[in-house]
Amino acid sequence: MDESRSRVRVFTALILVIFAILALRLVKLQLIDRQSHTGASQDNSMREHRVQAPRGRFFDRNGVLMVENEPTYSIFITPQYFEEETIPLLAELLSVADTTMTRQVQDAKKWSMHKRTLLRSGVSVEELGLILEQRHRLHGIDFDLTQKRRYLTQARATHALGYVREISDKTLHKRVEEGYRRGDAIGKAGLELEYESAVRGRVGAEYKMVNVKGQVVEDYLGGERNHAPVSGNELNLTLDADLQAFAESLFVGKRGGVIALDPNNGEVLAMHSAPDYNLEMFTGYLDAEVWDEVVSAPEKPLFNRVTQSVFMPGSTFKPLVALLALHAGAIDAKTKVYCGGGHPRGRGQFFACLDTHGSINVVEAIKESCNTFFFEMMRIMDVNSLNRFATSLGFGSSPSLDIAAGEIADGRIPDSTYFNSRFGPAPQFWNEGTTMNLGVGQGDLLVSPLQLARYMAALSNGGKLVSPHLVREIVNLETQEVVRPNDQMVEQVALNPVYVRLVKEGMARVVSEESDWLQIPGIDSYGKTGSAENSRADGDDSVFILAAPAQNPTIVLAVLVENAGFGSTAAGPIGSFMAERYLTGRIDPKRNWLMNLMFEKNSAPMVAKSE
Amino acid sequence: MRAWYRNLDPLVLIAWLGLVVLGLAAIYSATNGVAAEFSDFEPRENFDKQVMWLGISLAGILIALALPIRFFQVSGFPIYIVTVLLLLAALAFGREVNGAKSWLYFGSIGLQVSELAKVGTILAVAQLVGIRRPKTMDIRFALMVVGLILLPAVLIVLQNDTGTALVFFGLIPIALFWSGLELNLLLLMIAPAVAGYFAIVSMPTAIVFSVLFTGFMWWKTRDRRIGVITGLFTGGTAAVTTLAITTLLAPHQIQRVLAFTNPGAEEFRLGVGYHQVNSMAAIGSGGFSGKGFLQGTQTQGGYVMEQSTDFIFSVIGEEFGFIGSMIVIGLFSLLLIRIVMLGANMKHPFGVMVAGGTAGVYLIHIFINMGMATSVLPVIGIPLPFLSYGGSALLANSALLAIVLSLHLRRDDFSIYGY
Repeated sequence: MDESRSRVRVFTALILVIFAILALRLVKLQLIDRQSHTGASQDNSMREHRVQAPRGRFFDRNGVLMVENEPTYSIFITPQYFEEETIPLLAELLSVADTTMTRQVQDAKKWSMHKRTLLRSGVSVEELGLILEQRHRLHGIDFDLTQKRRYLTQARATHALGYVREISDKTLHKRVEEGYRRGDAIGKAGLELEYESAVRGRVGAEYKMVNVKGQVVEDYLGGERNHAPVSGNELNLTLDADLQAFAESLFVGKRGGVIALDPNNGEVLAMHSAPDYNLEMFTGYLDAEVWDEVVSAPEKPLFNRVTQSVFMPGSTFKPLVALLALHAGAIDAKTKVYCGGGHPRGRGQFFACLDTHGSINVVEAIKESCNTFFFEMMRIMDVNSLNRFATSLGFGSSPSLDIAAGEIADGRIPDSTYFNSRFGPAPQFWNEGTTMNLGVGQGDLLVSPLQLARYMAALSNGGKLVSPHLVREIVNLETQEVVRPNDQMVEQVALNPVYVRLVKEGMARVVSEESDWLQIPGIDSYGKTGSAENSRADGDDSVFILAAPAQNPTIVLAVLVENAGFGSTAAGPIGSFMAERYLTGRIDPKRNWLMNLMFEKNSAPMVAKSE
Repeated sequence: MRAWYRNLDPLVLIAWLGLVVLGLAAIYSATNGVAAEFSDFEPRENFDKQVMWLGISLAGILIALALPIRFFQVSGFPIYIVTVLLLLAALAFGREVNGAKSWLYFGSIGLQVSELAKVGTILAVAQLVGIRRPKTMDIRFALMVVGLILLPAVLIVLQNDTGTALVFFGLIPIALFWSGLELNLLLLMIAPAVAGYFAIVSMPTAIVFSVLFTGFMWWKTRDRRIGVITGLFTGGTAAVTTLAITTLLAPHQIQRVLAFTNPGAEEFRLGVGYHQVNSMAAIGSGGFSGKGFLQGTQTQGGYVMEQSTDFIFSVIGEEFGFIGSMIVIGLFSLLLIRIVMLGANMKHPFGVMVAGGTAGVYLIHIFINMGMATSVLPVIGIPLPFLSYGGSALLANSALLAIVLSLHLRRDDFSIYGY
């Protein structure tokens, strides 16, 4: 009996010991180490689903909606669930090569085995339908409703607006702390790039519970941790969509660029560089080959000719030289220079004028675009004065613009140091004869259309050197807070109004007397044409600067048409038409013939200069 | 005379009912939760099947309760022989499930014969003990007990169902214990296993255990030979185990053995450690009060393989938390201790052996299963009694319980041999 009882006791003890071991183990797992196991189970089953915020919309200066968003589908892959043998099927459904798909899958794997990675954005409803039909075979593939850019007006404004693309690995590494994740969209050019932080919005999150195969089962914790995305700030642009579209139509078939500013505040009314590229191509799947074509096209559509292209300003520089001479006291309104068809003191050669102008004063010289007069100006002025004056008017350094930071050309205004290093010390190696051709905008001068427009604005607004900008207001939709980021950036240049009036008079007569093609019906304006030699063999570039109305200009512009000859034949009429359209909203029917001529005009094909 | 059912032990029934209900809840969660629509690894109808098997088991319990003691005493060997034949049949004609050829199909109903063999084996051993009624053990008798258990165990090993075979091996010391084997000898049998386990988990612990245990045996028996043998047994096992996991075994075998000590390690977590990593994540993340019925993310996401069968405890741990775990342990403690007490109450070697064997079999199942789910032990695929999905196991375990209850009900009918 005792034996039996003791065995019952021993066995009971054994039971209790074993259960105590298990209970202690559970105390450790469920009470002490709970946190780490909770983390482990969340890593497994909880997926953060990023809900992309709609990017801020863009409105033009008149409140016309230019850029908004529209829904699109994006296909994602979670590599840990994906089966490699379905690559051909997936490639077929997304109509890409197997090898492309294999590479994309490998890239996604490298990034993370268990995180979702964007495989393809801009998928149409039809494509999505085909994928969904095969969904049971495509493990680890799912989709999101996301937003893509939608352009609403005729204006493409390619270089101004810029585009949005999937963030690159390189950028991602730098900006991951700002909350970017693989597959997110990010502005890559233009306003989309420059105002990225403003228009991006806040990404929302949905926490989903997924099962072991990666299928979404339900909202995690009933969705209590989800938060909705917040739309990006809206931009009120300075662009006039109608003027922009009109400018683009005038540049069909041409290479060149135009920028129109409000001279009083530097607002960019229109900016176009031709040829451009189609922003629509970034809203769907961008085929690498298509993109390569854009990148490597000889016409360089990615190149913004308004801000990046520099050239000799030609005669458009003459008003500046005239102002310089007047301010320096070297001449006055009555000073006359004799033009016998050229200037004899060129560096070992005769510098020709286009005509024989006889004795001519500064106003007439501007109107006639007399080279002799301006050669003489540079003979009597020294090159450093020109450098200082031109620099004060914004030449020789890159103007600020709220896009394309770091890509805006400086241009070049030479000074004595420049010539010394180029030729050797003066006067043995160079003298005023060397620098005389600067007076007619040739030689070692380089300017951009953006600089020309800014200089024209300073002439028109009493010497304020404005900072051109494309964004007037940033509107926070949540708080209704409005920020004006570009308001207070103006430098004052000391210009004597009397001298400015003289120069303007000459320029006004360029428009009213020199050519029928430049005059805006019913509106006085002043401007200057130019033809710029370039490094190519296909003809001079046509340049034109204009301000209108003459009394109190509200638009200034600089136009460049590559290898289209004299300023008055291409750039001039284009500038004139744009000012007319902006000021009157229409084109006088009497000038329709000329407008059609401009529409039809093409830049000559590009020819590189032979060695 | 009181109605017969009044003599039924209510505590055992309460524990049984509690466990079965918890088991059904967990199985329902694993098979019919929110994730069920995606789930092809946990078929919905398994819950209905389990309910059906519960009905069958209830019928079995009622039948067993109606049968007289004599029936069990007489039928022990015949049932044993039938189960051995069934094991052979399964080997010959059985269907392979999860790599083990231990299933016999009758139409659509599959029977895991090795589960039923537990009933036959315990009854046969009990009958042997009952006939012999030994005052003391002799070696021949012990060998007969061992042989009775080894026969089905070997057949089950041949079926490639090592987990269930392990239960039979574990039954050997327990059967010897209840048939009166000297405790010292029993300790000597068990100690090497403990030493081997420690050798895997932690070598210093194994050395300390071997030394202390040897000293204890020497002190207890005052017999130098016993001391030396103990030392050789424990130290030898520890040494052989160490040798095995370092050099003798093939790398993949070593991995399988070692994985449970650190299943989350990089080399294990997606392979052999996968089950335990996810099972621990499920149980641990349940915390004190659990995530709630049908709310377990691990369970509903199907991250724990075999979660309605071998890893059913992960469902309970995750959804019902520490409270749920303790209820399970509490119910099992109540059930097992009560069974042992009922057995002692019968005052007859047959009854003691049936009750002790039953409690022993349950204990082995519980320890191995819950030990595996919580990474105390390596992954050994055997079900948790009354909780895991599986009809044969439920039927066999319920039958054993019913036999204990039935014997206890009619304990006065035992001939007054006693010890």
